[in-house]
Amino acid sequence: MEVTLLIEATESAFKILEDARNHAAGIMDTTVELMAEESRVLRDKKCRAIFTGAQRRKTRFHNFMGTAIILFIFWSLLSGHFDLFHLVLGAVCSLAVSYLFHDLLFVNVRIGNLRTMAWRFLIYIPWLLGQILIANMHVAALVLRPKMPISPRIIRFKTKLETDISKVTLANSITLTPGTITIDIRGDEFYVHALSHMVADDLYGGEMEDRVAHIFMEGDHLYLQDALDAARIYETLGV
Amino acid sequence: MIRESDDVIVRTVARLLMPFITLYALYVVMHGHYSPGGGFQGGVILAAGFILLVVTQGIDRVKRRMSQEKAIIFSSLGLLIYAGIGALCLILGGDYLDYGTLGRPLSVQRAEARSLGILGVEIGVALGVMAVMCAIFFAIFTPDQKNGRREQ
Repeated sequence: MEVTLLIEATESAFKILEDARNHAAGIMDTTVELMAEESRVLRDKKCRAIFTGAQRRKTRFHNFMGTAIILFIFWSLLSGHFDLFHLVLGAVCSLAVSYLFHDLLFVNVRIGNLRTMAWRFLIYIPWLLGQILIANMHVAALVLRPKMPISPRIIRFKTKLETDISKVTLANSITLTPGTITIDIRGDEFYVHALSHMVADDLYGGEMEDRVAHIFMEGDHLYLQDALDAARIYETLGV
Repeated sequence: MIRESDDVIVRTVARLLMPFITLYALYVVMHGHYSPGGGFQGGVILAAGFILLVVTQGIDRVKRRMSQEKAIIFSSLGLLIYAGIGALCLILGGDYLDYGTLGRPLSVQRAEARSLGILGVEIGVALGVMAVMCAIFFAIFTPDQKNGRREQ
């Protein structure tokens, strides 16, 4: 009797031990899994950090080199001495200045598009000069007529431009064109003084704004999105 | 306390002009012995650039580039360069600021040594003038901690 009891007790003890061992093994397994997962997440995060850091460094390097090259051209224009000593001085100075101010010249620039932007800007300048010439004629004709039929007014319009640099380009183009002067920009609204009905209408027409948006690739994206939306609508209609 | 200008045109144009102003100032400093200009004028243009940046971008964003502490260090550095070159000439057996004696250690002609010595002195003067102008500007336009507390 006592022997059977003893055997039963031993057996149950063994069973409990076995259960405990299985349990511990399960816990160990889940721990290992969790740790593996965690290390994987950590590695991913590290990879991403390395990638974004590299991207940021690359952008910064592009800005730095771009600023340095532009400044060196500026130095050569100013200096006029092209011996080795002055060129080295210029290179050192422009590198130092662009190290200090490399984040000032190119802000809000999507780097891949920089070359296109510069090219479009160069094309925009002759058009602007032509506009200035036409506006000069117009203002001269207005002022030279004995009756002087000017009708000065302040007009206000909303712009679709988004970034600071494009707004400033538009504002300065408006100011450079005779007959119109940008008074203020508040948020999205331009306040412009116009000399006559015709120049005001020209401004409302918005050709200059379209061209500036084209330079800084702000209008284009909208137009592309519109086209894609229209395509999807046509697809669902089955036209 | 000067905060960021709320006019987008002023802010952006000042930001775009700043590297060119600084390079122009350096050009004035470096060509001081060929054309009008020199250390004082170049230093003032440098300081004007920093002041333009402070007026348009606000004092906090310029602090990384130029602050009162840095200005004081740079003014001492400029004076050290100026007086150091002068004293070096004295040590090498010439008069104070007699750049001709610098020719021997630099192994160049006396005339060339004079040109280089003047350039070095001008760089020192430009640094000093720039830093002192900035220090004066910062001293005027940053609120004094003690006075601010007393007003409350």
